[in-house]
Amino acid sequence: MAAPEPTRKNTVLIVLAASALAGLWLLDFSSIQPNRIVPGISQNLFAAAGTALSVVLSIMLAALVLLGLWSRSRRLVAAVVIATAGLCLLPWLLVSVSLNQLTDDQPSARIGLGAAFWLLLFLLSLMLVECWQRVNLDVHWRLIAMAAVIGSWSWAYSSGQLEALGLLREYHSRSGQFHQALRQHLLLVGGAVGCSLVLGFALAVQILRRPRWQEPVLNVLSFFQTIPSLALFGLLIAPLSYLSNQWPWLQQFGIRGIGWAPAVLALIGYSLLPIVRNTWVALSEVSPGVVDAARGMGMSPAQVFIQVRLPLSLPVLLEGVRITTIQAIGLTAVAALIGAGGLGTFIFQGLGQAANELILLGALPTIGLALLADGFLTAAIQWLRQRHLSTSLTAQATAP
Amino acid sequence: MKLPSHWSASGWLVVLIMATLGMQYLERFFRWVAPGQRQVIYQRDDFLSLMLNHASLVGLASIVAITIGVGTGILVTRAWGRDFLPTVSLIASVGQTFPPVAVLALCVPLLGFGAGPVILSLILYGLLPIVRNTLAGIGDVEPAVIESARGMGMSGTQILWQVEIPLAFNVILAGIRTSVTINIATAAIGSTIGARTLGDPVIAGLINNNIAYTLQGAILIGLLAVTVDRLFEVVQSVSTRR
Repeated sequence: MAAPEPTRKNTVLIVLAASALAGLWLLDFSSIQPNRIVPGISQNLFAAAGTALSVVLSIMLAALVLLGLWSRSRRLVAAVVIATAGLCLLPWLLVSVSLNQLTDDQPSARIGLGAAFWLLLFLLSLMLVECWQRVNLDVHWRLIAMAAVIGSWSWAYSSGQLEALGLLREYHSRSGQFHQALRQHLLLVGGAVGCSLVLGFALAVQILRRPRWQEPVLNVLSFFQTIPSLALFGLLIAPLSYLSNQWPWLQQFGIRGIGWAPAVLALIGYSLLPIVRNTWVALSEVSPGVVDAARGMGMSPAQVFIQVRLPLSLPVLLEGVRITTIQAIGLTAVAALIGAGGLGTFIFQGLGQAANELILLGALPTIGLALLADGFLTAAIQWLRQRHLSTSLTAQATAP
Repeated sequence: MKLPSHWSASGWLVVLIMATLGMQYLERFFRWVAPGQRQVIYQRDDFLSLMLNHASLVGLASIVAITIGVGTGILVTRAWGRDFLPTVSLIASVGQTFPPVAVLALCVPLLGFGAGPVILSLILYGLLPIVRNTLAGIGDVEPAVIESARGMGMSGTQILWQVEIPLAFNVILAGIRTSVTINIATAAIGSTIGARTLGDPVIAGLINNNIAYTLQGAILIGLLAVTVDRLFEVVQSVSTRR
């Protein structure tokens, strides 16, 4: 497909910036709650953060609309700068809300985040990515933009003025529990992904050797994937509690009907399919010519496996790990329902108490973990692919 | 040796119906599972109404998600909507990184408790695989095929309905299957925010420490998911054969 003619109008930027502008004027930016129980009073940005900052942000968004109307690649760089600045400004708007709205005699007052805040965060990030993709911005500049945003948020946080945010108030009142939940979450995900990596790798090697097993094994594993998480957790409780009643010493290791045991078992059940499938595909895609050449060089079968097959199939294998890890992070949140702990505990506690900020305290870090794992593993896969490409290119270049 | 897909699907369907209607008669089995419980059959609702409610929540959300998702996929692959293609495909792929339970939980601050936020989150999350597969399916249609259709004098609308959609159908269907499977699971968790679904007995069992309740809900949720998945298998095998 031929590249489209570069147009002077960037409709995406116009639509996103105009929606952000409309959201900024029409939706509530934040709410003030005198304490945890009383319902909050919502305000738009003008009322909450004062006119000056609101006008600055409005001008920035209007500039983005204009840049979209008459866009050229150099002007889109300006749009990248403005969107980055907008994202840097967001936490300071909250600081301004805190300074404007709260007085010293309300120590338990809290600020809630409104629809306009989330909309601005979402749309500004989209505009940033849209523009840097359009101008093909260098990776270093992208990293600098992200560092600027993270820096600005950390600076606003360290100013101490964000402490009144409901989210942070919930965090501070249970920071010990939070860190423990985070550790549990990571431990469950890490344990399940680690176990299924070992098991899945062994299974994939087995079905590679015995093609007859391939279909039944993949069928059973995809059957597991079909069963909803809550159902699988529920189905595991009865047999596990039966086992632990029969052999009470199992309880000493924490193996009971509820808790980490059914959670890890279910997580492994879900994780196996992506890992087995990707490992199997990756290993069977290594071309026989390469394996023959390695054997011809006098490598033993084990050497061929470790030095040739494994490195060549690593990117596809890691892709399986990426899918599994993201899935496991979400499923572990559900596992809080069966007493496995983790960040889901806050989600379901918050739902039980109708405490929105507590729900956020569980949900946002879960999403953050998933995005982090995705970003990190995607980067690792791309790095491996590029390295392969360059080594195979030099191999071709040096070949007689 | 593999059964034809429609046999396996009808088998699962029969088991699902029998389990839904007959669960209450299995009292002796559940007494053995949960000895010492005064009541071992979930009584607050009958299983049939929970099943129908669960299925209609997912069905309603899926119809909306299919309409919006396939619609969006078509719009951004037209010449005049193509500007939005990178943004929409970015949202669809990053959005799938979000855990479904987190999306469900985040709908509560927006809409409160009940069936409303559950339907919203099912629609939002269900959209992503459908959009993604619609884009992939239409994107995979060879440009040469479209060119020759145009050469035969077909209009843009005719090309869409008679060439692109039929060729992309299987990929779109696979997206819908993923979407519905995820939504059946998320709707079950929707019990925690006040929607009446098959998750109710599971949650009630967990709260009251009654394994029998949990098992009843879990069996029915699992059966529902597997049956719907097998039904999709039938539709897919019919449409591939054509």
